[in-house]
Amino acid sequence: MSHRRRLGRLVAAVAGGSLLLSACAQSGGGTSEPSSSASPAGTAQTITYAGEQEFNSYNSISVNNLVNSAAMQRVQAGFWYYGENGEVTPDKDFGTYQKTADSPLTIEYEFNAKAVWSDGTPIDCDDAMLYWAAKSGKIKGFQVDGTTGVELTKVPDCNAGDKKFVLEYSEPFADWQSNGPGATSVLPAHVATKAAGMSEADFIAAVKAQDADKLAGVIKFYNEGWTIDGGLKDMSLYPASGPYKIASMAPGQSLTLAANDKWWGTPAATPNIVLRVISQEEQAQALQNREVNLIEPQPNPDLLAQLEGMQGVTVKTGDAYTYEHLDFNFDSSEFKDKRLRQAFAKCVPRQLIVDNLIKPLAPQAQVLQVRNVLPFQPDYNTVVQGSGAEAYADVDIEGAKKLLEEAGKVGMEVKLGHNEPNPRRTQETQLIADSCGKAGFKVVDGGAETFFEAGGALGTNGYDVALFAWTGSSEVSGWSSTYSTPKECSENGKENNNGCYSNKEVDDLIKQLNAEVDTTKHPGLIAQIEKVLWDDVATIPLFAHPNLLAWDEKLQNIVPNPAQSSVTWNMDKWTLAS
Amino acid sequence: MIAFIVRRLVTSFFVLLAATMVIFGLTSIAGDPLADLRELPGADGERRMADRIERMHLDDPVWLRYLNWLTGLFRGYLGVNRDGQDVGVMLGDALSATLQLVLAATVLAVVIGVCVGIISALRQYSSFDYGVTLAAFVCFSLPLFWVAVMLKQYIAISFNDWLRDPAIPPTVIVVLALIAGLIWAAIAIGDRKVKLIAFGAGAAITAVILTLLSVTGWFADPGIGLIGLAILAGGTAVGLSMLISGLQYRGPLYAALAAAGLGVLLSEILTPVLADPSWAEIFGLALATVIICIALGYGLGGLLRQQAITGAVLTGLITGGLIFVDRLLQSFASYSDMVRGRPISTIGAGTPNFKGDFWQTNLDSAGHLLLPSMALVLISLATYTRYSRSSMLEVMNLDYVRTARAKGLPERTVITKHAFRNGMIPITTLMAVDFASVIGGAVVTENVFGWQGMGTLFTTGLQQVDPAPVMAFFIVSGTAIVVFNMLADIVYAYLDPRIRLS
Repeated sequence: MSHRRRLGRLVAAVAGGSLLLSACAQSGGGTSEPSSSASPAGTAQTITYAGEQEFNSYNSISVNNLVNSAAMQRVQAGFWYYGENGEVTPDKDFGTYQKTADSPLTIEYEFNAKAVWSDGTPIDCDDAMLYWAAKSGKIKGFQVDGTTGVELTKVPDCNAGDKKFVLEYSEPFADWQSNGPGATSVLPAHVATKAAGMSEADFIAAVKAQDADKLAGVIKFYNEGWTIDGGLKDMSLYPASGPYKIASMAPGQSLTLAANDKWWGTPAATPNIVLRVISQEEQAQALQNREVNLIEPQPNPDLLAQLEGMQGVTVKTGDAYTYEHLDFNFDSSEFKDKRLRQAFAKCVPRQLIVDNLIKPLAPQAQVLQVRNVLPFQPDYNTVVQGSGAEAYADVDIEGAKKLLEEAGKVGMEVKLGHNEPNPRRTQETQLIADSCGKAGFKVVDGGAETFFEAGGALGTNGYDVALFAWTGSSEVSGWSSTYSTPKECSENGKENNNGCYSNKEVDDLIKQLNAEVDTTKHPGLIAQIEKVLWDDVATIPLFAHPNLLAWDEKLQNIVPNPAQSSVTWNMDKWTLAS
Repeated sequence: MIAFIVRRLVTSFFVLLAATMVIFGLTSIAGDPLADLRELPGADGERRMADRIERMHLDDPVWLRYLNWLTGLFRGYLGVNRDGQDVGVMLGDALSATLQLVLAATVLAVVIGVCVGIISALRQYSSFDYGVTLAAFVCFSLPLFWVAVMLKQYIAISFNDWLRDPAIPPTVIVVLALIAGLIWAAIAIGDRKVKLIAFGAGAAITAVILTLLSVTGWFADPGIGLIGLAILAGGTAVGLSMLISGLQYRGPLYAALAAAGLGVLLSEILTPVLADPSWAEIFGLALATVIICIALGYGLGGLLRQQAITGAVLTGLITGGLIFVDRLLQSFASYSDMVRGRPISTIGAGTPNFKGDFWQTNLDSAGHLLLPSMALVLISLATYTRYSRSSMLEVMNLDYVRTARAKGLPERTVITKHAFRNGMIPITTLMAVDFASVIGGAVVTENVFGWQGMGTLFTTGLQQVDPAPVMAFFIVSGTAIVVFNMLADIVYAYLDPRIRLS
């Protein structure tokens, strides 16, 4: 026993002694290697953008989530994209197109001779054929966001390997530019045909024959094969045709884009763009901690104040391509009487609504004077001139009262329908009720959760005045059904013309506009339409929805974009000074 | 015992089965699964509705859908969600995220909570006890989302800003030193003089340490260092020996000290291995530590061989843990550079595409886990503190403890040998329930800190009126509750012979 004890002491002593010795030999800790910084001097290697929704499909035509097109627009380039101010802009790197004939309207497209997918396959005829097959609606089974326009075209007559193809329209179509294969619309046909076990020539022949049975495999793959299912499994399914390609994805966390080494145009300025999934409420602090460099949250006054209080953060408010408006029910309400519409338009406090509810979010906000052109568009002022909007620029309670008395409807009840919960619309309703109450209208808040639903108030015309928003675009065909006389005034028959407004003159003008292939003539026609719409007081435009962007001030070349394609439209130009 | 377990298993199975029926039914009727498609215009909306109706079998009655799901489940197939994504894959991702997020926090909460609870029980009605009670209740009543925002603002954003020039202002040093002094004074037992000494010493030591850390810029490039390691490991050895066997017995003390010394020594010798190890190597080292320490305890323990082994193993593992932390801290500066000088994150589970060595990768995880873990620990600390305090107090007033004292046993033996073990019995139940609910995820925490875990799986499924993910969540969390409750019963029987023998 005692022997063992002594041994124990010895071991302990040796251990202790060596401990001291080694402590003397190397005192202090934390001698780290010289850090191998990831980025060279100048610019950062990675820029991080925060979005609320997760990327979930490489095919943003069949899974029409805005997040997918926002993520993919510089991965899948096309003949055009939504450029600055949301204008349709040709992408000369990708290819060229020109109108070669007016009757029938014929557009000739040519892919850039150097255009290849990032896996090396040339971008050519089969990709155009896949675009047409899916978007024309003539081959049943493809899940697409819409077929308007392309359904008017004949199947392109090109052969495997051709770089040129032609779209020939059966009738003139005003938006022919944006109707061609744009960014995120040209998908790799060779991936789909390979998955379906089809040869390129067979595929092209089957599309020309419009044979849905032969194409069944391709259709199935088109609809389902590009859906992202718990991460990216087979990278060969997702080739790129733009400055960026998909590099990796962490489900629930982020999508990483890396510069496409096969891209033949101007190379991406920053090698990596990371799109992180971060919920609205958490984005501001993530930006402040520089975990993300750019955020695009829904604006609210507190958030704006928080962002403006941050150091080194640039905040920019602007307009979105969405506008709020009041629609009259021409079908089953008293507002069939034009005098009542005029009276209501005179008492709606549009300036007050903008001042109280929108300016705190976007200081430059203004009252929207027309419906189909928004203030950031170059033609806005031309169209507003002489549209008759000035008659309703200021609240005119006396004028409204007079008209109401003329019509003999003083004290009439107005059910103002909108969706709920939506605090801003409830506040708008309150402001309208106060002001129009003075003129003799009795405005009732008709807000309901089911407002937009099938069988809800909007569909079944269960309102006198409806308050909601339309998403716009620079294309004119987008709003043609909103003001054209509906086929029948029923839930399914009226399309976007919810109040069943009808005016022959407008119908004709819209037809004329949609057939006008010369875009320079569009503003004049739109101005004429707006004038009739104001004469009739068909609807009352209120304001363009505000949007909000905030970014690390070291980030350069951030250009807001009001179109749905969002700020990511020029991500290949972004740089971040380090 | 086995009959008891089998009986429990069989009844639990039927309870779970009945519960799946109820949950499936309720989820299916919780709303309109097509709500988001109803606003789509024209043919497009109709086609997509038809797709979804087919995928979710919405034309079948609920009971048929349930049976479909159930037969799938017995074949190990969890179905697809409404977008056609495989729920099995989603569940795997969600479960691993949740385990990462909540496991560490729960273990920390248990350890800290029980320790603090016992100390406050032993110092009942002292200012320490009152202080802990107050703090526990304040933390318990804090709303989690608010705590999260505050933590992000101060622990992440402000801390990262401060790291650029990590000097602690003198006023902060004074305040922290005073607080530390008060804590020490509150814990110390004795008359006013002892308390004053404890206060003075505690405050002075804290002030000196903080000043040193501030002057040397330690926070920007931290590390424990060999001297610090030696002091901490030696302190651990002495402290554990004091608790386990008492310092008057030399054997266990030497065994623990040897374990500590050997550990510190090896931290230098093993540098090639520790430069960039893998988890397998780390576990291997931990295993080797346990074996060596058992040998040390066996060899040096003398009469108190058992205690010596326990003490040596614990000391060895804690020393290993300290070395691990030291290595992590040494990589801190390089990691910080890699993330543009902002090591503490507010959101997500990791820096996207982060590539670094073992230590940097783990620092990245730690930097992302820090805030959510703090939030969870702060809030669940209270339960453990209060439970262990009251249970310990109850035990300390029992007759057999009085008898033990009357026998002349030292207070240390009375507490660690007689009171502690019995005092912990009720805590096992609490732990079992807590761990089971851990698997269910922490909905608010996951949401605020951007983790896609079990809670998110459940809430999204419910919002979309999509039974498949909700059921996957329920199967896992429900089974966990059943299993852990059973485990608690078994452990109970092991800890408390009265249950086993009755």
